Amino acid sequence: MIDSYKRLMNLQDPPPAKVAKGFFTDTSLCIGCKACEVACKQWNQLPADGFALTATSYDNTGALGATTWRHVQFIEQAKTNGDGRRDQRWLMMSDVCKHCANAACLEACPTGALVRTEYGTVYVQQDICNGCGFCVPACPFGVIDRTPKEGEFQAGTAHKCTLCYDRLKDDMTPACAKSCPTASIQFGDVAELRERARRRLGELQARGESTARLYGMPEGKEAEEVGPLHAFFLLLDEPQKYNLPEIPRLPRKTLGERYAWSAAVGAGFALVAALVFGSRR
Amino acid sequence: MTAEPATPGYYRYPVIRRPVWTWEVPAYFWLGGMAGGAFLTASLGQRLGSPDDRRYTADGFYLAGAAILPCAPLLIADLGRPERFHHMLRVFKPLSPMNLGAWTLTAFAPLAVGRAATQAAHTGLLRGPLAALARLLPTSVVELTGTLSGMVLAGYTGVLLAATNVPLWAKSKLLGGVFMASAMSSGSAAVALVAARRGAPDATLHRLARIESAASLGEVAMLTGYLGQSGRTAHPLTRGRFAMPFWVGAVGAGMLLPLLLHRFAGRHRGGTLRSLSGAAAVCSLAGSLALRWSIFEAGKVSSEDQAASFELSSD
Ligand code: SF4
Ligand code: SF4
Repeated sequence: MIDSYKRLMNLQDPPPAKVAKGFFTDTSLCIGCKACEVACKQWNQLPADGFALTATSYDNTGALGATTWRHVQFIEQAKTNGDGRRDQRWLMMSDVCKHCANAACLEACPTGALVRTEYGTVYVQQDICNGCGFCVPACPFGVIDRTPKEGEFQAGTAHKCTLCYDRLKDDMTPACAKSCPTASIQFGDVAELRERARRRLGELQARGESTARLYGMPEGKEAEEVGPLHAFFLLLDEPQKYNLPEIPRLPRKTLGERYAWSAAVGAGFALVAALVFGSRR
Repeated sequence: MTAEPATPGYYRYPVIRRPVWTWEVPAYFWLGGMAGGAFLTASLGQRLGSPDDRRYTADGFYLAGAAILPCAPLLIADLGRPERFHHMLRVFKPLSPMNLGAWTLTAFAPLAVGRAATQAAHTGLLRGPLAALARLLPTSVVELTGTLSGMVLAGYTGVLLAATNVPLWAKSKLLGGVFMASAMSSGSAAVALVAARRGAPDATLHRLARIESAASLGEVAMLTGYLGQSGRTAHPLTRGRFAMPFWVGAVGAGMLLPLLLHRFAGRHRGGTLRSLSGAAAVCSLAGSLALRWSIFEAGKVSSEDQAASFELSSD
């Protein structure tokens, strides 16, 4: 009985946990070549997004989505130099699913399609997802999305970066990190990457990059709700400049008081209705 | 060459993804809420009302049963992979409002349909072996469990929308309360409408009007708090494309007009009272649909509001 239920619902025990893997994306090294975007599409056999120009910058990808799991941002900034000369700079950042320690998408998922893998990453099981779409607006970073129902590519289910789960199984480096020519995308054990990131930040600050910072470390305020990110970043400016929320929200944390208000209204109505019916004599 | 960026973010690109849900979702919210509200009104009428109240509110069970039937098909139609709908019940994960809702609907639908069948068996509408079966159901247990699950069904929907990062849905704490009040108002209005059409006596209609008005007042209070807490985040709803359905439909027709009509009807009896009650109920039902639909659709616009997303994630 239980076995046939498990078969019907495709329930399996998870594999034993391994060392947590992740990405450290050092945006100070990114040259905007988009090799990661291409390598990701190629390895994961994701279709092209069509030929469209954003007309804002060299970033013609625009955003992460169901078939875009790496996205290189081109942030053009005008700044005034020490000698009063106006200058331009480009901040480039290869964005990706953050594989949050407390993942909003995973918590929202009603089917259990979204799981935490043995590598500590967040993964959509394509044979389970029924395309309910709840994870899409739940993610505070705008990462996961559902493919169109009529589409050619895995229609109607949710998709995002898998941290190349299939490659990890074979001890291989994810395609984006492998292809990155400047080591802006670094792959490895999360604990080791965090150490590396702290060292790198120290170097940059010593060189005068006073606005450089890490985003997604356990001690950062961005980890307050969603926890440390398994794919974290070294940024050269405020997170919002990269469209990253200052304190990404975890919807679960707000559920209690919202249910309480809803219940209070329901109970209040029931009480009034009971009094009105009861006051008939 | 390029000017200083006009926004604190990356151009004006959205921070979050746009919800993919379509019209089936607000339609389900409306029907499910109405079913829950009608079931509650009918159950209380049965237990506490006068013989007339009991007779005329019992139709609420038919309403709840009928309103709940399209709910599962609507939800399934909205899925990206409808043939996998049963995966919703693959795990029990009440911290996911969507999972909780799926289980609640699974519990409430048979209770509502079952209680409607018992009613039909009692009034002779249902005959034969099915009626005998329906009579076996313990009505008080069905009413109690149905009322509780119906209220969860009526109230979780606003919390579900609020459990996202869409600024319009998530900023205020009160969307669950707004939807619950709207569900209670539409549910009691549906009961009143049928009672008025079937010629219920004045006393019953007056009582139903008082109940409906209480729900409408609750709606006004919750909505005021909701808009206040949302601040400028609510602009996609209160201005622009959805202003008309929201202000005229949801607020005007759905809350203020029924309150006025009921006040006016308080001084009338017989046929006039029945027409006024019926009209108020129709307004309230339509307004409740307008409320769900406009908040739902305006949420998609809000999801593209970079400034609102930043505001939401900085306090
Ligand atoms: S970034 Fe979004 S999609 Fe990725 S794990 Fe976090 S919540 Fe999920
Ligand atoms: S769309 Fe799929 S992965 Fe996302 S919440 Fe629904 S079932 Fe889970």
